[in-house]
Amino acid sequence: MVIAFWTLAALTLGAAAMIIVVRNLLHAVLFLILSFIGVAGLYITLSADFVAVAQILIYAGAIAVLMIFAVMLTPRSSRNNAGNFLQLPALVLSGLIAAGAAIVAYETEWREADRGSFDTTAAQIGDALLSPFVLPFEIASVLLVAAMIGAIVLVRED
Amino acid sequence: MLSNWYDFRDLGNPVSRLIEGLEDAGVSDGWIYVITGLLGAIGILTFIGIAAVINIWIERRVIGRVQIRRGPNRVGPFGLLQPIADAIKLIQKEALQPKVADGFVFTLAPIVIFVPAILAFAVLPWGEQMVLADLNVGVLFILALGSTTTIMIFMAGYASNNKYALLGSMRVIAMLISYELPGVLALLGVVLFAGTMSLSGIVGFQDFYWSWLIFFQPLALLIFLLGSTAELNRTPADIAEAESEIVAGFHIEYSGMKFGLFYAVELVNAIAVSAVIATLFLGGWWTFGLENVIPGWILFIGKIYAVYFIFIWFRGTLPRFRIDQLMAFAWKFLLPLAIVNALLVAVEVFVWTEYDLNAGVVLPIFGVVNFALAGVLIVAFGRMIGAAYERYPKQPMMYRDIDVPLPEPAPA
Amino acid sequence: MAIKTEPIVVNIGPQHPSTHGVFRMRVTLDGETITDAEMVIGYLHRSMEKLAEERTWTQNIPFTDRMDYLAAMTGNMAYCIAVERLAGIEVPERAQYLRVIFAELQRIASHAMANGTFINDCGAWQTPLFYMFREREKILDLFEMTCGARLTLNYMRIGGVAFDIPDEFMPALQALVDELPDRIDEYDQLLLDNEILLMRSRDIGKISAEDAMNASLSGPMLRGSGVAWDVRKGDPYSIYDRFDFEIPVGHNGDCFDRFIVRMAEVRQSLSIIKQAMVDIPPGKHCAEVPLNFRPPEGEVYSRIESPKGELGYYLVSDGGPFPYRFHVRSPSLINLSALREMVIGQSVADAIVTLGSIDINVGEVDR
Repeated sequence: MVIAFWTLAALTLGAAAMIIVVRNLLHAVLFLILSFIGVAGLYITLSADFVAVAQILIYAGAIAVLMIFAVMLTPRSSRNNAGNFLQLPALVLSGLIAAGAAIVAYETEWREADRGSFDTTAAQIGDALLSPFVLPFEIASVLLVAAMIGAIVLVRED
Repeated sequence: MLSNWYDFRDLGNPVSRLIEGLEDAGVSDGWIYVITGLLGAIGILTFIGIAAVINIWIERRVIGRVQIRRGPNRVGPFGLLQPIADAIKLIQKEALQPKVADGFVFTLAPIVIFVPAILAFAVLPWGEQMVLADLNVGVLFILALGSTTTIMIFMAGYASNNKYALLGSMRVIAMLISYELPGVLALLGVVLFAGTMSLSGIVGFQDFYWSWLIFFQPLALLIFLLGSTAELNRTPADIAEAESEIVAGFHIEYSGMKFGLFYAVELVNAIAVSAVIATLFLGGWWTFGLENVIPGWILFIGKIYAVYFIFIWFRGTLPRFRIDQLMAFAWKFLLPLAIVNALLVAVEVFVWTEYDLNAGVVLPIFGVVNFALAGVLIVAFGRMIGAAYERYPKQPMMYRDIDVPLPEPAPA
Repeated sequence: MAIKTEPIVVNIGPQHPSTHGVFRMRVTLDGETITDAEMVIGYLHRSMEKLAEERTWTQNIPFTDRMDYLAAMTGNMAYCIAVERLAGIEVPERAQYLRVIFAELQRIASHAMANGTFINDCGAWQTPLFYMFREREKILDLFEMTCGARLTLNYMRIGGVAFDIPDEFMPALQALVDELPDRIDEYDQLLLDNEILLMRSRDIGKISAEDAMNASLSGPMLRGSGVAWDVRKGDPYSIYDRFDFEIPVGHNGDCFDRFIVRMAEVRQSLSIIKQAMVDIPPGKHCAEVPLNFRPPEGEVYSRIESPKGELGYYLVSDGGPFPYRFHVRSPSLINLSALREMVIGQSVADAIVTLGSIDINVGEVDR
């Protein structure tokens, strides 16, 4: 359990670090996919099977493709990870945020959830989406339909 | 089922005997887990290795027969050593890599594309106790693996640094994404009907109600079959490797064993999808009680090859779609049918569980209704959206004498 | 909010599985649609017209085989008819009937190949091609039985044919004629209702009747556009005016129409062969032509209906043993000139299908 967590954490954080460092933008997207898979692994260590598989299906399957198409549409010249004048302020700001998050995480009184054995989550998620959380579910689906119609309207040749 | 360890009708029997033996010997639980996992993985990899080799032979012989010629019959008796000859040929070829290609991704793509194909076998039930990973969300897992294949194909196309490869891989990605939706919705119908997403649960459902799901879900099977033909990049949807068009696909720059890996992955993917169809719709290892005589996993392998034969049949017979016709087929034909199917199944399951009807009465009615509605929907819907071509005359006009419509002479 | 795109020039190069020979098209693509197409020919130029000026009239007959190598009999026949018109030679009856039988057999073989490769271009992994090649193999066996060769036949001579048919020819021909209509029905059943084939070839590569006539197209391309013109009926040569056959004419002028016109022409050829088999008289198989054959001075243009279109020979003689000018009006070249109009506005896949339906033979285009 511990080994799994530390390997997956190392994988995720390593991939995330490589995204920032690597020169080629498409390589950065590929490392992003790797970090998505790492996060899916972390979900599995938390016994959230449905969320893990949905993470792979949605993030590594669809959102990664979206990012790739977006990268393909940028001109070739701006696809390298060139240095610019904002690098130092960005480093300072992200360092501050990381430090703040680390302090908060360290000082909180975490309680271990007392679950017994592993129960399957798919049925429970389904129940939750349709009984207490039906309104956000429906609003999310309306939002998605609106996005799709908007996309079609944008690319119509009129 | 007898539970003697030598009862090979269910290979879980010797393995559980092994587990008991190891527990008695005091090996810790973690190590037992690892050992049984390794055994299962070795079994599956053996099957995949043998099947990939045999499938090359089967595919070429069957396509040869469809084309009224024999397939390969020179290398070995009945051409059985042909796949080995192919493998040797590919290994000894020079694996060229263009200098401007993205070296790391270029080499990585054919290796990484193998991973989802093999992972899909982990959730399939080969027998009553023979599941390597009895995931509760098995169906969703298989769909997720299918969707990651798109990234790998893009990697291969992009890394070649060749505008035709990139064009080809973009077309393929668009096609793969389009065909995921009808596939997912078709399987949604199956999951609703069986009440569980776990694959061994679905086989258990077919065992419990003593029939195969194909009798209740013909429309879902058809949609999933057609969707998978496109997902696997096989004819009639094989624009990825269309030989008679200029964009010869995302693996245009690959040669040698890297190309061999792409070729093998196509076959292993086909076997994986055939196995999924055999599990969901044809009952997996359960065959109306026949699995007490012949081991269930052998019957399962037989069903896999029966479905694979249908894929080969498609390939030998049908011409190829154009890319925009392919997308129109997915979005305008398959997707509405899949939605209607899901709706229909939801209504049926609701009626069944809410009124707590007797399964023996209700299920045959559902089967007949589903079949009838499937036929009606396909025919009516097909007429509605694709009918323009049917109205054109199929035979030329026959003239006895020449009849040339000459234009009027120009005024002087 | 349009994204700026730039047109790219793509080379559908001389080495390509689907260009029916060494033929090159440079297409300018804007996205997927073709905005301009440029044909580059000449990869198979063998200067036959010049070479023919240094060989005797009879020695030029093998050249005519090799121009349209998939329809050698009709090539031979066109040349021999042109020379006979020039020199006023009378061909015996048996030779005329034999010529007609072999020309129609060659038409069936060439159309089988044309339709098979057309469907191959549509993407059906050679299955209909193999089926149609069964018939072609039987016809080529008949050729081999008679003149010893399958592809470059060199069978017709000035004044008749080279050899008389052997005894086993007629029974074999009768067997072929009996079995072929069932086979063609089988192909119709397999192909004509195939939705995918219809989608790939309907409304693709359209050319209207007026454009076809203006571009001087001929053969199945012209007939597919709705113009009922066949040289065998419009300007009869040999003994074609004695046979009773029909001309299939298409409706729309697209690729599918040319496909069905070729299939129907195969049936008509069968009926011509049946009529010729019944009427064939005994007699000589070649007229007496002197060894140093010198036709009188003059010129002639004579044309026949080859499977690809109107094949014409323009011959000028100056009284010597060699031709003074030997020019071939090749149907493939003239038909190919209409490709650009047909292809602009379609996608590349459709361009390949259109090229397949024109049924060119690069040996004839380049000579």
